[in-house]
Amino acid sequence: MSDWQPKIVAFLCNWCSYGAADLAGVSRMDYPPNIRVIRIPCSARMSPKFMLASLRQGIDGVWVSG
Amino acid sequence: MGIAKRKAIYVEYAQAVPLKYAIDPKECIYLTKGKCGACKKICPADAINFDEKEKNLTLNVGAVVISPGFSPYDPTKFDNYQYSKLPNVMTAMEYERILSASGPTKGHLVRPSDHKEPKKIAWFQCVGSRDLNKCDNSYCSSVCCMYAIKEAVISKEHAGKGLDCAIFFMDIRTHGKDFEKYYENAKNKHGVRFIRSRVHTITPIPNSDDLEIRYIKEDGELVVEAFDMIVLSVGLATSPETVEFAKTLDIKLTEGKFCETTTFEPVNTSRKGIYVAGAFQGPKDIPQSIIEASAGASAAGEILTPSRNTLTKVKEFIPEINVINDRPRIGVFVCRCGINIASVVDVPGVAEYAKTLPYVEFVTDNLFSCSQDTQNTIASIMKEKNLNRIVVAACTPKTHEPLFQETLSNAGLNKYLFEMANIRNQDSWVHKSTPELATEKAKDLVRMAVVKVALTEPLKEAELAINQTALVIGGGISGMVAAKSLSKQGYVTHILERSDKLGGQALSLFKTGKEENIQNELSKLVDDVKKDKNIQIHLKTDISKVDGFVGNFKTVLSSNGKDEVLEHGVTIMATGAAPIIPEEYQYGKDPRIITNLDLDKKFITNDPMLKTLKTAIFIQCVGSREPNRMYCSRLCCTNSVLNALELKKINPEMNVFILYRDMRTYGEKELLYKKARKEGVIFIRYTLNEKPRVVFEEDELAVIVKDHVLSRPIMIKTDLLSLAPAIVPYADDKLAKFFKVPLNEDGFFVERHAKLGPSEFATDGVFLCGLAHYPKPIDESIAHAKAAASRAVTLLAKKKVYVSGQIAAVQPANCSSCGVCISICAFSAPSFVEKGPFTGKAEINPVLCKGCGLCVSSCRSGAIRLKGFDNDQIFSQIFAIK
Repeated sequence: MSDWQPKIVAFLCNWCSYGAADLAGVSRMDYPPNIRVIRIPCSARMSPKFMLASLRQGIDGVWVSG
Repeated sequence: MGIAKRKAIYVEYAQAVPLKYAIDPKECIYLTKGKCGACKKICPADAINFDEKEKNLTLNVGAVVISPGFSPYDPTKFDNYQYSKLPNVMTAMEYERILSASGPTKGHLVRPSDHKEPKKIAWFQCVGSRDLNKCDNSYCSSVCCMYAIKEAVISKEHAGKGLDCAIFFMDIRTHGKDFEKYYENAKNKHGVRFIRSRVHTITPIPNSDDLEIRYIKEDGELVVEAFDMIVLSVGLATSPETVEFAKTLDIKLTEGKFCETTTFEPVNTSRKGIYVAGAFQGPKDIPQSIIEASAGASAAGEILTPSRNTLTKVKEFIPEINVINDRPRIGVFVCRCGINIASVVDVPGVAEYAKTLPYVEFVTDNLFSCSQDTQNTIASIMKEKNLNRIVVAACTPKTHEPLFQETLSNAGLNKYLFEMANIRNQDSWVHKSTPELATEKAKDLVRMAVVKVALTEPLKEAELAINQTALVIGGGISGMVAAKSLSKQGYVTHILERSDKLGGQALSLFKTGKEENIQNELSKLVDDVKKDKNIQIHLKTDISKVDGFVGNFKTVLSSNGKDEVLEHGVTIMATGAAPIIPEEYQYGKDPRIITNLDLDKKFITNDPMLKTLKTAIFIQCVGSREPNRMYCSRLCCTNSVLNALELKKINPEMNVFILYRDMRTYGEKELLYKKARKEGVIFIRYTLNEKPRVVFEEDELAVIVKDHVLSRPIMIKTDLLSLAPAIVPYADDKLAKFFKVPLNEDGFFVERHAKLGPSEFATDGVFLCGLAHYPKPIDESIAHAKAAASRAVTLLAKKKVYVSGQIAAVQPANCSSCGVCISICAFSAPSFVEKGPFTGKAEINPVLCKGCGLCVSSCRSGAIRLKGFDNDQIFSQIFAIK
């Protein structure tokens, strides 16, 4: 298990969490690079289909934030 | 602030706009000693210019708005607090930095001396405010109570239950919107201790960094207590530089060194054409500063109306190339951002990789993609290579998407045929320690952007014409001032008033704190409004129906059974508020028991009974700050103090008592409170648990109250009892629904943003001012009215607006007419089609749609698409993740 890293997809609301992820960069925070962000216009845009598609794609975790 | 060291080249703060570095000329050894200059040699953008000097520019302007702000009071003078000697005694501004994630401790709550996590923190209020002993600032700084409570609550949330927070205060002044509830929560939910005591001295405890204080509790008990840290809630003061600046401008200052203004022209300085906004006008918080900023803009706009748009340049129109049905030809531009990206991510590697992706015709990397010359290069490459989709892998779309979209437009490409890959803020900056994985991530992000942009289609932005007429609802001071301001700026304005008279609450007010006669000023304003050719007044009129939306409202005005349809582009809500009819203190049972407004009326009519009074009592917070109405009515303390002073003027021998809970004479109104004490007005504090009681001793009226000094009940016989009733809004639910604007639980309208959007609603085209927002005195109402007018003018002046192309659209053939979209949309964008082949199906008004996608994900039939964030685009991004 030691080397295994989960692959995570994050669906972030453009107005809050996506901005926060930008701010994490501006503040030079450090976090693991195994996350891929998909910008959505609002967490209201999120559909269960996107989560299922992500998991079927082999992604280990789905994070929705908004 | 000097809490931590900073380099000679620095960014002001993490959220600074623009987010650019600056050189500190005091610390730069090239500028001070002529050595080094390494930055100039190393800067790949050649952005360093050591020869840049301060320049004097001469500008010809018709109006000036000044907002020089304040300086936090410097507590070094308070030798008994030993601020400069004791590291764990800090100002609230410094403490703010300790709590901040971008501060010296990265938001970790530790004390400066030994980086120990504090267990006990004390706040001392009124340091540099309400004080003539150690300083000359007798005014109240207005904001410190609230910021201290906020700091205490945040500290508790941060450090958990183990942290003890104590606030030492004279009066808690939480007179802002929703502040009282916050104060109650701080006390009851978070357990912040509030101690009414002014602490004299801070003594360091030997052999430790802890601090000891002695204070006297309200019951007279002497307490000795130790704290790990002490925060001084320093006041707001005008800096000596600003005082000089005011001299240069030749504008008058008040006793407290703030800009002198009048109640009826709260943003006008003593010099014509110069306007003021913010803390220099008087100590104030963010929402009030924002209001004044807009009001200042309005005041300047009023005198500059003839010159509007005389200096604007018209943008060249570039026809759009039709790319529909063309095979995608994608250009990818990978940015190095100097070394911001390139020092972590292998930019050439990412660019090489991008060439292998489908439909990609051209790839290059740039040093700074956002620089003007690179923008020009991108535009010419787009034409040369016949590109029809663009990906920029760079900083973040949040700041740079509009810039690149403009480049597309300038090259004749629809601006939506664009996608950004965020390889700086969300990649190189956060994965410095793992450059290889960061490069992998960059490749993934570029691939995701490429597959998405390939599926992007050109989008149209709906054009919306703004009807140039305004409707102001409410004919009080706020409504009239808003209408007058709109009229002066050239817009036809209709005022709607439900009663038969203009003037609202001001009709029963006597004098302002600045000795201005309210009735005189009010009748001048009413006359101005009546004479104004741009203003139409509708008295005894209600609204029975509202159709339409921003720019195109159709409102049915009903008066005497007759309906009239008014078409207007904007609406200003100035519906006001009114005092409650008291249900306690025997109100209504005796003519000697009246309200403050009744007393004002007696002053206006010069009632002879006033001369016969030997004793008068005021009771504050009648219906305010109670569990069922947990807010402060803001203006009653000042009102009672003014009336008390007026009584003292009539008869200096009169015994005047004010029974209060906390005196809230904020800002320079504190001077009135001070004057009242000097004139002999007696202030007795009571608590909610032990309210005063009104009794009749045979024919005599008396009030029994527990004296806070003697700690025993006293009985005062009186000739007059004046109550300060709570101010409540009309809470017109019907009106709120007509314009799709929200009311809070107290019945006040909810503005777009509590701090940053106090004069408008989240609903486009609807604006807010006056008491309908929150109780406020006349000067603040006038500023708010001008602010609402200013916000409305920014929309009206555009004449046409374009709305985003990234909006939802119904495919009617798939729609099952279930109505879910209509019921869930917060912006009322979907509706049923009323005629034509798709009658009964849903349609979405592109002007109202905010593009959130809620209807899209809720549509059971899959009939709604979100342009720009379509299902296939998001799926393609998911499938592109390796």
